[in-house]
Amino acid sequence: MSRWRALLLVVTLLVGAGAEGWAHLQWPEDEVRAIRAHGPWPPPAPVDPSNRVSGDPAAIALGERLFNDARLSGAGTMSCASCHQAERNWSDGRARARGRAGLDRRTPSLWNVGQGHWFGWDGAADSLWAQSLRPIIDPLEMAGSTGHVAALLRGDPTLGCFYRRAFGTAPGSDDEALLVDAAKALAAFQETLVSPRTAFDDFRDALVAGDLAAAARYPAAAQRGLKIFMGAGNCNACHFGPRFTNGEFGDVGIPFFVRPGEVDSGRLGGLAKLMASPFNRLGPYSDDKSGASALRTRHVQRLHANFGEFRVPGLRQLGDTGPYMHNGHLATLQDVVRHYSKVSPDRLHSDGVPLVRPLGLSADDQADLVAFLRSLAADPPPRPPPLTECGAG
Amino acid sequence: MRLSRCLLYLAAAAGMGWTGPAGADQELPIFDAHMHYSHDAWEVVPPRQVVEILKKAGVKRAMVSSSNNEGTKMLQDVAPEIIVPELRPYRSRGEISTWAKDPTLIPFLEDLLARRRYVAIGEFHIFGADADLPNMRKVVELAKKHGLYLHSHSDADAVDRHFQQDPEARVLWAHSGFERPEKVRAMLRRYANLWCDLAFLTSHASNGKVAPGWREAFLEFPDRFVVGTDTFTPERWHYVVEHARWSRQWLADLPADVARKIAYENGERLFGQGR
Repeated sequence: MSRWRALLLVVTLLVGAGAEGWAHLQWPEDEVRAIRAHGPWPPPAPVDPSNRVSGDPAAIALGERLFNDARLSGAGTMSCASCHQAERNWSDGRARARGRAGLDRRTPSLWNVGQGHWFGWDGAADSLWAQSLRPIIDPLEMAGSTGHVAALLRGDPTLGCFYRRAFGTAPGSDDEALLVDAAKALAAFQETLVSPRTAFDDFRDALVAGDLAAAARYPAAAQRGLKIFMGAGNCNACHFGPRFTNGEFGDVGIPFFVRPGEVDSGRLGGLAKLMASPFNRLGPYSDDKSGASALRTRHVQRLHANFGEFRVPGLRQLGDTGPYMHNGHLATLQDVVRHYSKVSPDRLHSDGVPLVRPLGLSADDQADLVAFLRSLAADPPPRPPPLTECGAG
Repeated sequence: MRLSRCLLYLAAAAGMGWTGPAGADQELPIFDAHMHYSHDAWEVVPPRQVVEILKKAGVKRAMVSSSNNEGTKMLQDVAPEIIVPELRPYRSRGEISTWAKDPTLIPFLEDLLARRRYVAIGEFHIFGADADLPNMRKVVELAKKHGLYLHSHSDADAVDRHFQQDPEARVLWAHSGFERPEKVRAMLRRYANLWCDLAFLTSHASNGKVAPGWREAFLEFPDRFVVGTDTFTPERWHYVVEHARWSRQWLADLPADVARKIAYENGERLFGQGR
């Protein structure tokens, strides 16, 4: 520890940058400490105490099967995977999602979703299972129903078999409890969607270990972009930690009218839905009888600032997965960086030093920041095929 | 609760000649002292829609400023009985951080003051020693000359400087300076001509209950607070109804006479006269 600290007090890296030649970047100790906070990756597997089958292989198998089963929808034509497509980073590439009807928000990626504590762009759910339940019964999305899902679990022999393996009993007679169990299995599956290690992770680990030669393999443009990300940009004030998000909510100056005379109230509306939901962590369906995991839900407060706030997304696997922002308002990663470079402070209400302000980045700085953001993505390894037979595995 | 609300309404109606029809206006009327209707709102929330929103919210009167002040005129033209005009020292919302050093500002204000009637100058943003810049000093002078309130989004230091420049100034402290209630009370004790708006604050109320500290402030100075929604983006006009509902919830946790003053009477007494 003392060796790398001494080395990193003022570290000069010889950076191999291909056609750019060699570049020197200094990484003082405070910056190394900040970079260190963006790892390690992958993180420990999440365990949700409110979901008794979280991490259970049989529940994961059931959840994956349900995730791809269009029979969950009312019309039998749409599964979770219709919008959360594995080959599109678990999103759909659209600016705004399309369920049974057109929706007002973008389909969020599911990468690393198990690591969050609020779910949905508005945080209307405080668990992944509660969030997974919502689109199934939302008339604008999959338009299924509680009874429909319960009947499917009870009536389909294969699903029934998977259910027994996951929950230890045959599907019962309580429709709503079965819907919740289906959602908990879906959550168990989604908790396994962990994005791959990236060039940034190799750089971070090398820097922390004091392996300057390995760290120097990280492209110079990405390093310069990282400097902006942590420095002038102050991006890591919200995009911090291994997932590059605080998991909370912000208004970053994106308009939130959805149509003339109507707005998406974001977190403010999400809070109202959260507190009214029978499926929140304070409700009877939480398996955490200690109540410890409901602390955030119990103490959450509404603020005027919540109006028009949306969840701060993680930045891993951003790559070319646009459009971006909660409503697909920005088409490309370059547009996102340009937005933060030119955002109007008038749209943002803050006292003192604002977290979001126009950065006024040069074209080169913007390109570097994009290079850094792209370095947070990598090709995921191929997924093993899902189990088709209940007895397998 | 229903009875107390009813009594509150009857008392308000008796005291203020408030004789609106049944509906949202059966509730405690509100004087909203912190609204903006700037250039980017005019098309997406047209003036008549603004007035519909205010009526639906039970906002009987609203003090409005706008960058570049034409928005205020547009609303006055549609609903002169509701809109209380405030002169904003910004021609576009982008001047929030440049106005204090803009050499063209004062002629702009003097021209408007010569042509139109206003009740206050603001909301302007100024902090610390910047409150001694020439433009700010001139704005204080203009306020004195024309008998206007200063609506200052500022820290306590800037408020001190306003009163140093003109001990007789009348200052509406936007957002109560985002200060703790103890500090707000100290400022109110120090300056008899200081009033506070509660726009964008939530620290004073939670789940319909007034927070300790703030309760003491409201009870000690029931004549010195007003409410406000702060429609600083066009979207926020669609928050006015919910904000009014939220305000009535926490106001109901105060003695009825105090609630009535903060909700409406203070705003009407200070800014609504001579309409």
